[in-house]
Amino acid sequence: MRMVNFRLSYNARRVAFALAVILVLSFLLLPTQLQTVFQAVGSPFGWVISWPLQAVAGIHDRIAGVWGQYVALQGVEEDNRQLRRELDLLKEQNGQLRESAAATERLAALLEFKQQALPTLIAAQVIGRDTGNWYKTIILNKGTSDGLQSDQGVITPAGVVGRIVKTTSSTSVVLLLTDPNNAIAGLIQRTRDEGIVGGTTHGTAQLKYIPLLSDARPGDRVVTSGLVGGFPRGLAIGTITRIDKEDEALFQSAELVPEVDPNHVEEVLVILPTSFPTEGERLKAPKTKR
Amino acid sequence: MKTLTYIALIAGIVSAQSVLLPHVSLWQVKPDLGFVAVCLIGLFGGELEGLLVGLVLGWAMSLFSAQDVLSAAIIKGCIGFIAGLAGRQVAYLTPPLLVIGLFTLSCLVGLITPVVLRLSAQQDVWWALWSVVLPQAALDALIGGSVYWLISRYFGLEQWVSEYRI
Repeated sequence: MRMVNFRLSYNARRVAFALAVILVLSFLLLPTQLQTVFQAVGSPFGWVISWPLQAVAGIHDRIAGVWGQYVALQGVEEDNRQLRRELDLLKEQNGQLRESAAATERLAALLEFKQQALPTLIAAQVIGRDTGNWYKTIILNKGTSDGLQSDQGVITPAGVVGRIVKTTSSTSVVLLLTDPNNAIAGLIQRTRDEGIVGGTTHGTAQLKYIPLLSDARPGDRVVTSGLVGGFPRGLAIGTITRIDKEDEALFQSAELVPEVDPNHVEEVLVILPTSFPTEGERLKAPKTKR
Repeated sequence: MKTLTYIALIAGIVSAQSVLLPHVSLWQVKPDLGFVAVCLIGLFGGELEGLLVGLVLGWAMSLFSAQDVLSAAIIKGCIGFIAGLAGRQVAYLTPPLLVIGLFTLSCLVGLITPVVLRLSAQQDVWWALWSVVLPQAALDALIGGSVYWLISRYFGLEQWVSEYRI
């Protein structure tokens, strides 16, 4: 059977060569401008491509659902027992935390701290992962038409997942906390030392630029500091497992186990940019009472 | 008709690459179906088709990745163009030769990509080589060779390729 004749004419070859040269030159000379044009044109293009992607993701979810509900039920009883034990423990902890929260509220009212505004959240579903191997990302089924933009924070009730780096009209790409190219402002909850949280090549996270005098230790929890955009203060990031202190280094760093396992996240919440008060605004001096 | 086929192919590859392949990845590395497709299209269709399909496919894949649009489109476009040029020099293409060619090209592209992307300091050349480039090149070559073998066995492509090259 003879297939379609792909033979190129001499002119077509010249066009191909000229096109290749022009593109490479534009890439070298106008990278930012071309990037903006391609990204802008890509939004509707991405919307078109997101249809088959969402269809495949839907079929995949159904198969996974059937598998999870009917086939992979081994060990569910043991899990159930374990979860009930954890629930009892958490109920007890919850009672204690409510007490602490009430006390904190009373003290905050006395000091006239500005209330931390609750962020507006949008729920989204994970429909895919990065198409390449260089970045650790997830793809969400919501985009600019739902109010999502680059640099917005993405969380689950357990903690931070990552931040949005790219959007089309109906999808968004979230760079995960465990990607080495990510950077989120973090704070050690016990010592109040700040640092930058990024990923590692081993799939864990790392808190960098901790002051040398900090007495951070394994087991300390790290939360968002709220100093830069995307995340309000106090969202769980992870727990320190190891402190790395090098001779003659200006800072120490810590390895973290993220609160959220990014490989198994299915639904997330995107934080919309409401005006979170910064730490400075929140803790500004109370008005003098007359 | 051919344009529609390519659009369907691009949509299918992007969907499979982001939804299905993460579940079948080896050592957390998945093959790049786009690379394989662009190479085969470049080989069989020539430089122009390889370049154009590569550009559009790279662009489409970058919309669902943190990789920047331009580098993705240009890298894939160049792959298609190079595959087209290479195909012109080969009179008879056997699956083992294709596997070796795909492996080599995938390694070269894999070594160039982190430099173009300016990844973090942790992701140096050795890490890239052992963690991403070699496994991905092996998977790409395996899949490309298998697809070529299947097509040539069941669609008589070998004869067509020979005629086209001569």
